[in-house]
Amino acid sequence: MTPRVAQMGLGAFAALFFLFIYAPLLLIVAYSFNSNPVNMMIWDHFTLEWYTGLFGLSERGPEIGDQNRALYLESTDQMLKALRTSLTVAAFTTTIATLVGTATAIALNRFRFRARPFYSGFLLLPMMMPDIVLGIGLLIFFVTIGMNLSMLTIVIGHCTFLISYVFIIVQARIAGIDPALEEASADLGASEWVTLRKVLLPQLAPGILGGALLAFVISMDDLVITYFISGTENTTLPVFIFGMIRRGVKPEINAIATLMILASVIVAGLGLWLRSRKAD
Amino acid sequence: MALRRQSLVLSALLAPVTIFLGIFFLVPLGIIAVYSVLSPGLYGGVEWSFYHWNYGRIFGWADGIEEVFEPVYLKILLRSLGFGALTVILCLMLCYPVAFWVARLPERARLFFLFLVALPFFSSLIVRLYAWLLILKPSGILNETLLALGLIRAPLEILFTPAAVVLGMVYVMVPFMFLPLYAAIDNLDREMVEASMDLGASRRQTFFKVVLPQTLPGIIGGAVIVFIPSVGNFVVPDVLGGAKGLMVGNLVEQQFLSARNWPFGSALSMLIMAVVLVVLLVATARARKAGGQA
Repeated sequence: MTPRVAQMGLGAFAALFFLFIYAPLLLIVAYSFNSNPVNMMIWDHFTLEWYTGLFGLSERGPEIGDQNRALYLESTDQMLKALRTSLTVAAFTTTIATLVGTATAIALNRFRFRARPFYSGFLLLPMMMPDIVLGIGLLIFFVTIGMNLSMLTIVIGHCTFLISYVFIIVQARIAGIDPALEEASADLGASEWVTLRKVLLPQLAPGILGGALLAFVISMDDLVITYFISGTENTTLPVFIFGMIRRGVKPEINAIATLMILASVIVAGLGLWLRSRKAD
Repeated sequence: MALRRQSLVLSALLAPVTIFLGIFFLVPLGIIAVYSVLSPGLYGGVEWSFYHWNYGRIFGWADGIEEVFEPVYLKILLRSLGFGALTVILCLMLCYPVAFWVARLPERARLFFLFLVALPFFSSLIVRLYAWLLILKPSGILNETLLALGLIRAPLEILFTPAAVVLGMVYVMVPFMFLPLYAAIDNLDREMVEASMDLGASRRQTFFKVVLPQTLPGIIGGAVIVFIPSVGNFVVPDVLGGAKGLMVGNLVEQQFLSARNWPFGSALSMLIMAVVLVVLLVATARARKAGGQA
């Protein structure tokens, strides 16, 4: 086999690889515009019905009946509520995890103390722990101490592992910052607090932002931990979709899924843009 | 004075994470450990008496009175390990050549393809699994296409088989394998590869003697990151697996949400945790050894 043939073979393999990754996602997008309500695999014609239906905008004809329509609107309401829950949970989780994770990264990189090796190992554990173990552990814990499952328990559950993610990202940034500026600030008489706020934090900002973005994305997407500790009242969007899929596939799922893919592309693009700005 | 201030700042910075993870991470794990040796209550919940039959049911020392030994639990546990290992191997076989291909591209193209690999990580797991549900269904696009091409006569039953579970896990885990592998391949000492070829080593020899050892840290890293969440996975087998694709994660879920036998579910979780711990310890030891040699 000559090197050129090998190179072409490698290219073809890579093409198949990216097809494998993206074809399923593109398929959902295509299905989401298919008007065939009975078998979504068979192309009927282009429609936005599933999208308008998601937001209760589409006028369904008489064929589905009043009772079905009521049911339909109810499930739309539930979905929007799940989306609101997801956003609320992700906002609180991101704030808490970012604050705590950043503080931890600063402590571990700018101070010397005996328990430091312990902390840097320990902080990896919540990331490595399978989510089902964390989920049921928290479930038993909340039930044992008599805490009702609510949005608060979801936020707590997400923070347990997202603090570690923020820590890792901020830590990578802080390790690359020369402490000389902070030492100069301290030598010139600034207090620790002033040095932290005026010298270290501005340099850390891109790392903190990156960590927060990652925490937000993972919190929005978490299914397993949320599934165990959300209770019946507060479903998040992934748990809602999981339930929908378990009950049977409906065309609306394609529309929700497409919107979620779109949102993820936007967020990932934003992350990339942030990184390229950091390089300037 | 200055020293005392310093330790005050340090305590303030470390207190939140210590308190938070102490209460909401360590205590729950401790509770699982305790629950795993308690006896199940009649209507869910537990009775506070030492009870080792939870493990006996799995490993075979059940007395047949309190609990019955069922080999099926051990089988499911081994199956989960097997599925996890298979997922690692398949991810590795998919990612290794592609990571090589990407590493040789010009800078802009390289960044573009890295972005393409990382992008699915930002999109919802459940959405990505749902896509495979649509593809693998008996009336799904795969069967329809194969039928239309005349390659098969009757729809293949792929959905709700172990193959579907492994396929789904490979699909969701691919980015986690790719990125550590790519980092290792990108760091590869090109001159050493060329020197090996110049000195008369065959391509195969060069690969096994030079390339593979140098990229081993990336392989180990990727394998650990893929294996651990695969073994304890319950969403993929739930959506794509059916009864034949049942994994230990599904078993745990059933114990908590339908069978309401929390101690038994806790015992199963302890086993998942034990697997994670062993894998992490072995991987760290290997990494340390590899680091010592270099």
